[in-house]
Amino acid sequence: MSDFLRVKNLRASIEGNQILKGIDLEVNPGEVHAIMGPNGSGKSTLSSVLAGREDYEVEADEVTFLGKELLEMAPEERAREGLFLAFQYPVEIPGVSNINFLKAAINAKRHHQGLADITAKDFMVMVKEKQALVELKQSLANRSVNEGFSGGEKKRNEIFQMAMLEPRLGILDETDSGLDIDALKIVANGVNKLKSKDNSFILITHYQRLLNYIVPDFVHVLYNGKIVKSGDKSLALELEEKGYDWIINEVEAV
Amino acid sequence: MANKLDFLKQFDQLTALFPVQGNARAVIHNGLDFPTTRDEYWKYTRVTSLVESEYVRNVPNIDSIDAFRVPGLDAQYLVFVNGEYSKKFSDTEHIEGVEVTSMRLAEGERKQQMLQHLDQYIDSETQAFHALNTSYFLDGSFITVEKNTSLSKPICILNICAGKRQANNIRNLIVVGEMAKAEFISLHEGHENEGSFTNAVTELKVEQGGDASLYLIQNDGPESAHINAIQVVQEKDSQSKVVTITRTGKLVRNNLNFTVAGQGCESNMYGVYFTSDKQHVDNHTYVDHLVPNCNSNELYKGVMSDRSTGVFNGKIMVHRDAQQTNAFQSNQNILLSERATINTKPELEIYADDVKCSHGCTIGQLDEEAMFYLQTRGLGKAAAAKLLVQAFSGDVTAQITNDALRDMVEGFLHQKFEDQDA
Ligand SMILES: Nc1ncnc2c1ncn2[C@@H]1O[C@H](COP(=O)(O)OP(=O)(O)O)[C@@H](O)[C@H]1O
Ligand SMILES: [Mg+2]
Repeated sequence: MSDFLRVKNLRASIEGNQILKGIDLEVNPGEVHAIMGPNGSGKSTLSSVLAGREDYEVEADEVTFLGKELLEMAPEERAREGLFLAFQYPVEIPGVSNINFLKAAINAKRHHQGLADITAKDFMVMVKEKQALVELKQSLANRSVNEGFSGGEKKRNEIFQMAMLEPRLGILDETDSGLDIDALKIVANGVNKLKSKDNSFILITHYQRLLNYIVPDFVHVLYNGKIVKSGDKSLALELEEKGYDWIINEVEAV
Repeated sequence: MANKLDFLKQFDQLTALFPVQGNARAVIHNGLDFPTTRDEYWKYTRVTSLVESEYVRNVPNIDSIDAFRVPGLDAQYLVFVNGEYSKKFSDTEHIEGVEVTSMRLAEGERKQQMLQHLDQYIDSETQAFHALNTSYFLDGSFITVEKNTSLSKPICILNICAGKRQANNIRNLIVVGEMAKAEFISLHEGHENEGSFTNAVTELKVEQGGDASLYLIQNDGPESAHINAIQVVQEKDSQSKVVTITRTGKLVRNNLNFTVAGQGCESNMYGVYFTSDKQHVDNHTYVDHLVPNCNSNELYKGVMSDRSTGVFNGKIMVHRDAQQTNAFQSNQNILLSERATINTKPELEIYADDVKCSHGCTIGQLDEEAMFYLQTRGLGKAAAAKLLVQAFSGDVTAQITNDALRDMVEGFLHQKFEDQDA
């Protein structure tokens, strides 16, 4: 039994609407979990709540990350502890340089770990290496955060940032949506290279497609705020074949 | 002290150096009164306490001005302490094509030259604070840049307001000659000056084809007041840029006026105010387009915290003859606290029919989505806010072409957010 990520009976509501209705999830080091489900089932809400968005009223029996109470931490503390969210809709931040902000982010994390600032040289070496990993053009890395990026470029920039920050747990919220097959392969390849026995990923996706390239250890189906079915990678294939209606019918029949 | 004459009496023993000072004294002792909140242009800025207070007058000994300099700035410094010229701290090296003179010390031809311009551009007849300044300034800077001269480094007029309850009338007169180009910094710093009051007037004349930049940096200290007036007069084909950076000052009121009297002129005005505590900062600007084919461009940004209050009023007057005027104006504000407030008002009066004018103002908070995004990358709230505010004010600070000065201004921002993150 590890203390990596443990979620028990997680509930979240906004403006009186309960969106997450009791999620249980356990992730161990080195695992890849896929969370699938139709639109509106609460996937982004789950990732937002784990990353620390404040808009929700959140309750749970337990949410711990690396043995610490996740819900008591500010978003930046979660990040410094090694949690990373690749956003479904990354924001554009005009006037804030991608590179400068990443340097500040890396240093914030290093300070948290009791380390000194990264040297300019090490930082540049790292930028080069990680840019190559996701085939992000240098001109994009140097621009304002996501400003004027295409949809695919934004997603690649998320993976670039993830690669730079080297999280223990990466949550990818529909990073595959809207990507053409080449971009999808680049993103998947990036994730595969970052995978190790120590860090884990939660891949939130609507389609099975991504899972051809990143093979999950577990697949969960989220529907109406609950995980209604879990299985191995074959569950994703089954969903692909039969569609979500099959599961929805099964759930509602109970 | 409820009476204007009682207030003035405390200055009346000061010697009038120039005839215009006598005239102004007559004006202010007679019909001209200080504005109150009943006056439209002073509606949100209460100055009564300033002109009902008793002030003291002394010039404390200052050992060093290093703490007041712009770090790393290569400039010719002209230094005044409580309005009095400090020869000790001023650079007196001679730069070809430029004359920098203390008004009080001007003699002979130089004095005659000064008197041709002094008080010719500012309105000391109807504006009480201008008249107050003209009446009682003790000294001032008189700077002329000769025809065709291009200055390689800026001239920095450093005014230090030192000691409690001082009333300093600061005066600058700058004439940039034909086809000359120069940058000026009017730097206001303070030292233990609770209850002090700076009343500054700058007349800037830009002659035909000239190009002048003036940076006003207001850092007088949190417990002092500053009323500032800048009058720019532009001749044909000239360019001017005034950048106003307001950092400290309990009560700050800026009156920036441009009289564009020749065709082919460009007038730029930029400002940033970073306010906190109970600071009150009021920027009133006025561009008077008298003739055709001129451009004016204005961008002011506010970053306001705590219970600070702000006022922006930008008036653009396009007279009937001023066809083909392009005038743009924008005022944008970020309120970092729910208790900060801003009153912003564009005022366009256009009597010509073939012009392009636009204005806009915005008031908002920091973008929550962007804040969350930056936080999820590990930046603390203050660090994230700092990046966003820097980005917000960046298009104004980018107008400061001098690197050392821009670094200092950006440093004001850093300090504003410093120590807020654990
Ligand atoms: N800020 C919000 N205010 C109100 N309802 C919301 C908000 N965010 C999400 N919801 C609702 O919560 C449900 C789940 O949304 P979301 O988590 O985005 O689903 P998914 O990512 O699975 O498509 C949807 O019905 C959506 O309308
Ligand atoms: Mg979603």
